[in-house]
Amino acid sequence: MGISRDHWHKRRATGGKRKPLRKKRKFELGRPAANTKLGPRRIHYVRTRGGNLKYRALRLDTGNFAWGSEGTARKSRIIDVVYNASNNELVRTKTLVKNAIVVVDATPFRQWYEGHYVLPLGRKKGAKLTPEEEAILNKKRSKKVQKKYETRQKTAKVEPALEEQFQTGRLLACLASRPGQCGRADGYVLEGKELEFYMRKIKSKKAK
Amino acid sequence: KKTFKGRFVRDVGLGFKAPREAIEGTYIDKKCPFTGNVSIRGRILSGVVVSLKMQRTCIIRRDYLHYVSKYNRYEKRHTNLAAHLSPAFIDIAVGAKVVVGQCRPLSKTVRFNVLRVIKQQKKGSKRFAKF
Repeated sequence: MGISRDHWHKRRATGGKRKPLRKKRKFELGRPAANTKLGPRRIHYVRTRGGNLKYRALRLDTGNFAWGSEGTARKSRIIDVVYNASNNELVRTKTLVKNAIVVVDATPFRQWYEGHYVLPLGRKKGAKLTPEEEAILNKKRSKKVQKKYETRQKTAKVEPALEEQFQTGRLLACLASRPGQCGRADGYVLEGKELEFYMRKIKSKKAK
Repeated sequence: KKTFKGRFVRDVGLGFKAPREAIEGTYIDKKCPFTGNVSIRGRILSGVVVSLKMQRTCIIRRDYLHYVSKYNRYEKRHTNLAAHLSPAFIDIAVGAKVVVGQCRPLSKTVRFNVLRVIKQQKKGSKRFAKF
């Protein structure tokens, strides 16, 4: 093996050099990185210690993203990698890694929101709705059902930064899974202070 | 649906109270025992803070006596321990007596986390202090 994850090649805590006392062992092995890119799904299987499987995602294009404040998750398309705290190279090559900030398609979330709260989200003023969307938003409902939706609408407010993102149809999200290990690119939609922080970082990078 | 102002503070257990700074502060530290993702389990030890030069960690010195049976006497020995210092402990200085709890490895040498400051600043802290 070439890559190994052993400890005995490092110096001691006191700074003293350690003499190697054995050769590289199989349980110390490391494998080449996945470097998951954006693209049509391609996943390779790796047999690991104990006969278990790791799903090494080589290309991914969708993921399950959670909208924390609403408590739902939707599978949605990953459009672009926008920021990576560790390495700008990973942004340039559009590599999907845990904690990368990606841009995600907003339509599944908007559809859920409009179905759940019966309120338009991210629609331009006076835009024409297609007949299906009209049907959901302005359906004739019995009084009891209408009341249910009205109680829900009390808590339907979405923060302005998110609303803007819905208008453009793209949400900023953060990857929370490790695509090279589990083969999935799952994550959560950025909100609140985190969203502010990353938007500032992205802007300062663009400005440079 | 709440506007998320609530701060995540966890109960460390074993009777250790989260310091006020952990509940009211705004720092983010994933290795803090009160606001982060580490659990305290295993040994609970105490020692004297010897060095605060590292970011968010401190070196703790534990003194003890070792018995030499041939001479029926004791000799002084000490061990140094690296422990993670949460930003919740703002007023800590070299020489403070401190309780640390074992947690999972946080870095190459850090396996402990400071849980409580028993006594602050003592003069001549690098001397042997038996307690």
